[in-house]
Amino acid sequence: MNPPLSSQYPRFATLIGLLMPALALAHVGQGDLSGGFVAGFEHPILGLDHVVAMVAVGLWGAQLGPPAIWVLPVTFPLVMAFGGLLGGLGVELPGVEIGIATSAVVLGAMVTLAMRPPLWVAGVLVGLFAIFHGYAHGAELPESANPLTYALGFVVATGSLHLVGITLGLANRWSWGTRSLQAGGALIAVCGVYFLLPHLLGA
Amino acid sequence: MGAGLRTLATRAGVALGLTFGADAAWAHVASAQAGAFYAGLLHPLTAPEHVLPMLALGLLAGQRGLHEGQGVLLAFILALTIGAGLAPSGVTPRWISPLNVGSLVVIGGLVAASWRLPIGLLYALALGFGATHGHANGAALPSGLSPAIFALGLATAASLTTGYGLVVTDALSRLKPAWPRVAVRVAGSWVAAVGILVLGMGGKAFGGL
Repeated sequence: MNPPLSSQYPRFATLIGLLMPALALAHVGQGDLSGGFVAGFEHPILGLDHVVAMVAVGLWGAQLGPPAIWVLPVTFPLVMAFGGLLGGLGVELPGVEIGIATSAVVLGAMVTLAMRPPLWVAGVLVGLFAIFHGYAHGAELPESANPLTYALGFVVATGSLHLVGITLGLANRWSWGTRSLQAGGALIAVCGVYFLLPHLLGA
Repeated sequence: MGAGLRTLATRAGVALGLTFGADAAWAHVASAQAGAFYAGLLHPLTAPEHVLPMLALGLLAGQRGLHEGQGVLLAFILALTIGAGLAPSGVTPRWISPLNVGSLVVIGGLVAASWRLPIGLLYALALGFGATHGHANGAALPSGLSPAIFALGLATAASLTTGYGLVVTDALSRLKPAWPRVAVRVAGSWVAAVGILVLGMGGKAFGGL
């Protein structure tokens, strides 16, 4: 049975609304609505150092099970946005690139070793890295983009990467899945080392 | 009670679909010719700055269930309409836009936290943010259009978006597994994160504050 029309209409109306930027006066910035969303959505996905770390967060959350499996995806976007706020306000944060690469190494290692620290330790660790990830590109708004749809695309892409990790992590309930997850964690850690190398070699 | 409301919502949706379906097909017609009602309906829907908080308010109200939630939404819609009516045309104070983006952070954050706040506090939030969102929308009234009809369109848009959030959240909350309730909280955290990021862009986002 089809859902009632009443539940479809708002979506339809929103779609029409998004297709009519000409009416959008006196809102946050002006800018390109759909272009902003695409630019924001691409941002976390085009940087492999971000992608592997985000997926690692989801994998680890799935390994840890409830409540971590939902505490991490609820907390991460908020802390990441806080990092973006710091970046936007021009607060100095040294070693951002090193912090991001390190996050892949550490989170990958956690998944490989299937570490089970107390929830707050996992939360603080993930939150700390989230600040670096948000700081790195949260405030890099393209000139022509609408700020709000840019931020929306950015957050949705980040959250989707977590969901990918969590969904892959569901394999953890089978013995071969547990091994595969740990192998995936090792791969992520290796990526992190690769991203870290130029910094270590002083390049 | 719940079923009756849903039937009513379905009927209203069908009626609205029939009434505005034709208009939607002519979406390329300049806004001034589309009528004050349609302009009021579209204005908040064209701005994610208004759509997102309204959907989030629907989620927040929905976490309390249909019965408690609908009063909160009614308060919001009332404040929105009055705020739009009182707003002088073409004048938007600079603090309105950051405040409306701030409503994303507050409402989204509360959805993510899923605290059981005193219902009076929810009413206060709904009234306050209803007034600020109403003011921002009312100030954008295109000249030559009736403010009252514009406000009516505005109220319709707000009813649809917040009502949608309410009904969906209430339905999800009735399901047995825990993950639909978690998904609502995750959505709240995403909304709040969007608000924080936009506030972080500062002058870039608000045209040189």
